[in-house]
Amino acid sequence: MTDIEIDQFIAREPAAVWRALTEPELLARWWATGDIKPVVGHRFTLDMGSWGQQPCEVLEVEEGRLLSFTFAEGSLDTTITWRLEPEGAGTRLFLRHAGFAADSPALKGMGNGWPALIRRIEPALA
Amino acid sequence: MPEADVFAVLANPVRRQLLVALRDGPRAAGDLAGSFALSRPAVSEHLAVLRHARLVREEPRGRHRYYHLAAEPLADVQEWLNPFQRYWRERLTALKDLVEGDDL
Repeated sequence: MTDIEIDQFIAREPAAVWRALTEPELLARWWATGDIKPVVGHRFTLDMGSWGQQPCEVLEVEEGRLLSFTFAEGSLDTTITWRLEPEGAGTRLFLRHAGFAADSPALKGMGNGWPALIRRIEPALA
Repeated sequence: MPEADVFAVLANPVRRQLLVALRDGPRAAGDLAGSFALSRPAVSEHLAVLRHARLVREEPRGRHRYYHLAAEPLADVQEWLNPFQRYWRERLTALKDLVEGDDL
């Protein structure tokens, strides 16, 4: 349970979704302000409000299909990967937010037994 | 944060197995008891504990009692383990609304 994986269907073509992920003014409208650019090696920050300016670096880009970048270097130290797949007339957007340490703020309070437990009960939610 | 008793209820392996056994749909109490190497009263007792924690729901059908999985307390546990899960669901909904809007 150290990664988050979510997918979301969006009733627009992948190009529109790609813009919302990679254009700063659009990104700011649904998530955070920052000088993101879909260029490997590009370093930028995302304004996470009271949580502060989070350093990021673009790791991987496949135009219109995949964007991966580090998120919150030095604190959360995680990686966010967006993957876009055409689905009918729309887009299936996959998010993978990976690399949460067991003692990260997101998972604090979690005992050693819980990862095994959650693996058992998670399928029950499906 | 879920009620503390949900954690205590889930700490028991038999009760977790009962939840897994219900994930494909409701099953009769007797049928469930048959899949465990425990006496029928012992299984009934575990089912009563799960019911009390609202993790399962009981439904009488004729002479049988059927048990259904109730996922809400499990969702609370998941949220406690990983608040970012909820965070991202909310952000993705905002993204969907933006992209599907008229101005993009």
